[in-house]
Amino acid sequence: MMRHELEILRAGETHADMILLIHDINPISPKAQFLAGLARTRAIIAPSHPGFGASSLPPDFDTMYDLVRLYLDVLDNLPAGGVAVAGFGFGGWIAAEVAVAGHSRLQQLILVDPVGIKIGGREDRDIVHHFNTNPTELNRRSWHDPANRPAGIYGLGWQATISEAMTDAEMITLARNWDSLCLFAWQPHMFNPQLKHWLHRISVPTLVLWGESDGIVTPDYGRHYASLIPGASFETIPHAGHHPELEQPADFVARVKNFLP
Amino acid sequence: MELWNHCENPYPFVPAEVLDAAESVRASLPNKYCEPEIAARLYDEVFDEYQLCDDIGLHIVTNEHHSGINNLWAASPVITGIVARLTKKVRILSLGTLVTVRPDPVRVATEYATIDVLSRGRLDIGFVKSGATEMTSGDANPMRIREREWEAIDLIEKSLTSHDGPFSWEGKFFTHAHVNIWPRPWQQPRPEFWAATSDMPTCAELGRRGIVNTLLFGGYDRTRQAFDTYKQARRAAGLPPPGEDRFSYMAFCYVGDTDEEAFRIGQKIPWFLTVSIKSAPQMSKFMPGQLPPELTPAAWRAGASKRPSNLSVETLVAQGQMFAGNPDTVVKQIKTFRERVGGVGRIIMMTRQGLVTHAEATKSFILAAKEVLPQLRDLPPVEQRTAAE
Repeated sequence: MMRHELEILRAGETHADMILLIHDINPISPKAQFLAGLARTRAIIAPSHPGFGASSLPPDFDTMYDLVRLYLDVLDNLPAGGVAVAGFGFGGWIAAEVAVAGHSRLQQLILVDPVGIKIGGREDRDIVHHFNTNPTELNRRSWHDPANRPAGIYGLGWQATISEAMTDAEMITLARNWDSLCLFAWQPHMFNPQLKHWLHRISVPTLVLWGESDGIVTPDYGRHYASLIPGASFETIPHAGHHPELEQPADFVARVKNFLP
Repeated sequence: MELWNHCENPYPFVPAEVLDAAESVRASLPNKYCEPEIAARLYDEVFDEYQLCDDIGLHIVTNEHHSGINNLWAASPVITGIVARLTKKVRILSLGTLVTVRPDPVRVATEYATIDVLSRGRLDIGFVKSGATEMTSGDANPMRIREREWEAIDLIEKSLTSHDGPFSWEGKFFTHAHVNIWPRPWQQPRPEFWAATSDMPTCAELGRRGIVNTLLFGGYDRTRQAFDTYKQARRAAGLPPPGEDRFSYMAFCYVGDTDEEAFRIGQKIPWFLTVSIKSAPQMSKFMPGQLPPELTPAAWRAGASKRPSNLSVETLVAQGQMFAGNPDTVVKQIKTFRERVGGVGRIIMMTRQGLVTHAEATKSFILAAKEVLPQLRDLPPVEQRTAAE
C-alpha cells in the first residue's frame, strides 16, 4: 500500500515490460514525443513527485530521503515483473539514489543528464545553480537550441519563455513545481555529498545518456558520473542540451531501445 | 505615542552607471564598489545620530540586510550591541537579525540576552520573515520560511526564559541538545517581541501571542487590514483587546522648518524604492516561495520587474507611506494615519535614507523630538469601530 497518492501518467501496452520514468523539474508531459516512441514497446509509468503536477505535498515531506523512500514504495506497488527505471536531471538523481538503495524489481537503470553528485573542487560549481541564475541564461544553457523546445513543454529556464499564450493554470503548476523542487534541492544545491561514495553499489545494467550541448551539467560531469557506476555505459546525444528526450526524441528513444532487452 | 528612528545606513555612493548596468544592486553587486573609508564615516555619522536620539528621546531601531547598497548594518546584533553601549536612556529595537537565514536560534538568543544586559533592559527584539535577495546572500532555503521563523522564535523565547539549566530542543528545523544561555536577559520574563509583517495569517498569530505588529510602508488600507486581523484573532481567542502599543508603523519621514523644506529634502528618501530595491528576477519574482502559486500569474504577467521611478513626496504622503512637512503638518499627518488605521502607538521614522545627509537627518530628528513628539505623546484613545468580520 502506498501511503502517498500520486498523479501518474500511464502510456503503452499494459502487458509490456514496464519502464518507470522519474521526472526532472516538471512532470513528464503527455504531449512529449518520446513517450509515444517508448510506448510502442513498453508500459510507461510516470508519477508526479509530491508537490509537482497534481500530486499533493504532505507537510512533513521535504528531503531527498523522502523521495527515495517514496520511489521504493512505487516499485513495491507496481504490477509483478521487472522494471526499467529512467530518471531525468533532478529525477536522475532520485533514480541513482534508488538504485544505490537497491530494489529487487529494478532491472535496468537509465540516467539522463542526472544531477546528484559533487565532483569538482569546493570552488568549482558542477551544476549551474537552478535558482540563482538568470532564467534567460538558464534557458540558453538548457537547450542545444532553445527554438527546439516543443510547444507547451517546459524545461529549465522556463521562466524566460513565459508568454501571454500560457494559461493561468499552466503558470500556477510551474510555480508549484518550482517551489517543490527548491524545497528538496536548495542546499546542498542539487547534490548529496555522500552519493558519490555509494554509486559502486549499483548492480543493474546502467546507461548514462547525455545531451552533448548540456550547459547545466557538462558531458564531462556525466562521464565521471558513469565511471563511478560499475559497468555503466555512457553515450552522448548530438544537438541536444539538458533535456535530450525533448530536444532529440527519436535519437533518445533509439538509444533506450538499443539498451533495453 | 512613541517615535522611533530607523536608519538602514544605506550606501548611495556607487556610480549610477554601475547601478544601471547591474542586474541587481543587492546580493550580487561586487563589494569593490564599497569604499571602507566611506563606510566608516557613515557608521560614525549614524552612531552620532543615535546618541543624539538618546539625548532627545527618540527610540532607536536597527536591522540588517546583506550584500547591497541598501544597508551597511549587516549584523543587527553587532550594531545593536554598540548602540546599547553608546546610549543610556532610550529603548533599542533590533528589527531584526534574520532568523530564517541564521542556522542557530540559540546563538541569536545569546546575542540578544547579552545586549539586554549591557543596555540594562532597554532591548526590544524584532523578527522579520525576510525573503528574496536575502535568501540568496544567506544561502537559505526560501521554502517553508514562515514555519522556520516561528520555530526560531519559539526556541529563542524558550532560551531567554529558561533559567534552571540545560534543556533540549529537537524541532523540525532546529536541533540543539544542550541549551543554557549566559547571561540571562535583564528583563523578565524576556525583552518585548516585535515582528514586521503584513502577511495576514502571521498578523493573526502575532495577535494571539501579543507580539507588537509592525507594518512597513503598508499605507492606510493594508495597515488597517493587518491591525484589524490582529484584533480579530485576539477576540476569537477570547483574549483582551490590545493596547495601541501593540501596533507600530514604519514610514518615510522628514520634518523641516517649513513644508517646502521638508518636501525638498524628503524627496531624497524614496531612493530606497527607486534605486536600492533593484534585484534580479531569480532573486525576486521567480524566487521560490515568495508568492503562493495561485498569485503568480498576475505577478508574472506584469512583465519585467518595474522599478518605481516617479515617487513624489506628495504621492507617498497621500498614500500614508510618508510623513513630511513642518512639525504641525507632520503631527496632522500622523494623527490622521492613526485614526484611519484604528490606532497605532509606535511610529518608526525612516529619515536618514538615500541621499539625506547627516546634517539634514539631525535637523529632522531634533524637530521631531522637540516639536512633533510633545503633540503626540498623550493622545485620547482612538474610537474603535468594529472591524469588518
